[in-house]
Amino acid sequence: MTKLKILFNQTLMVSTAVLFGVGVQTFLRFLLQGEADFTWPWYTPFSIVLTGFLCALPTMLILNGEADSKKKGIIRTLVHFVLVGGVVSFCGYLFGWYDNLADYLPILIMYILIYMFVWFYTLWLLKSDEKKINEAIKRFTDEE
Amino acid sequence: MKVEVNAVDSYDLESAVINTVKITEDIQSAIDILDNNCRVIPVAYEGKNLILPTDKIYYIESVDKRTYVYSKEGCYEAKYRLYELEELLNNYFLRTSKAMIVNIRKIRSVKAEVNGRLTAELLNGERVIIARSYVKDLKERLGI
Repeated sequence: MTKLKILFNQTLMVSTAVLFGVGVQTFLRFLLQGEADFTWPWYTPFSIVLTGFLCALPTMLILNGEADSKKKGIIRTLVHFVLVGGVVSFCGYLFGWYDNLADYLPILIMYILIYMFVWFYTLWLLKSDEKKINEAIKRFTDEE
Repeated sequence: MKVEVNAVDSYDLESAVINTVKITEDIQSAIDILDNNCRVIPVAYEGKNLILPTDKIYYIESVDKRTYVYSKEGCYEAKYRLYELEELLNNYFLRTSKAMIVNIRKIRSVKAEVNGRLTAELLNGERVIIARSYVKDLKERLGI
């Protein structure tokens, strides 16, 4: 059940992130080139959800377990970053999100930015939890 | 200390509130009696059977189907299995991994790790891991 929950949450999160990326791109095109209309092939919304699901798989398989050392944790994160990046790039190619390198670069930059944002946000949440737990635990700790 | 007892109509409504400046040994005894939890557990040390007060316990670990109880004074072996002790001990004892139970009152501080687990520093300076799946339980017990 927990794995299904992770899969579902990750699918939603990545789909939203891709939609956000598309939103930023169309907004920039509107600002810079004055393109007010944006059209999608019929399969694009499905392709976004499918990409979200495929990106969730490495998360569930790699990051779900517990790393027994800091070094292993960093390696797992790097592997995860590359795998998810690979999935995004492959899906982007397959579904025609980009035709050439010039179109691919903004997708890659967006992916790196979103990955960093999610990572730092997660770190911030963890540190916030750490602070709350340490404050609460003072009330319970024995005096020795 | 002023003691006030009010009669209620059902067992569901039974509760006890203790207003205290400090949790002394007597207050802790009262809490344990009201919680209906044991205050001592039988342990063995160098072939001798001993009775160990639960408030002296730092953590309990299961290694090769044997259960070891750690206090400031030393390490003892318990006859109980870990899951049995989990049921016997009060709410201050938290399952932190498949093989460990930690006394929350002996935790000095915690440090969050990127994989979601916590490293808890105990009052004796030892560090133990609180697995990610048990962090939620810790937060609930601390009232977060």
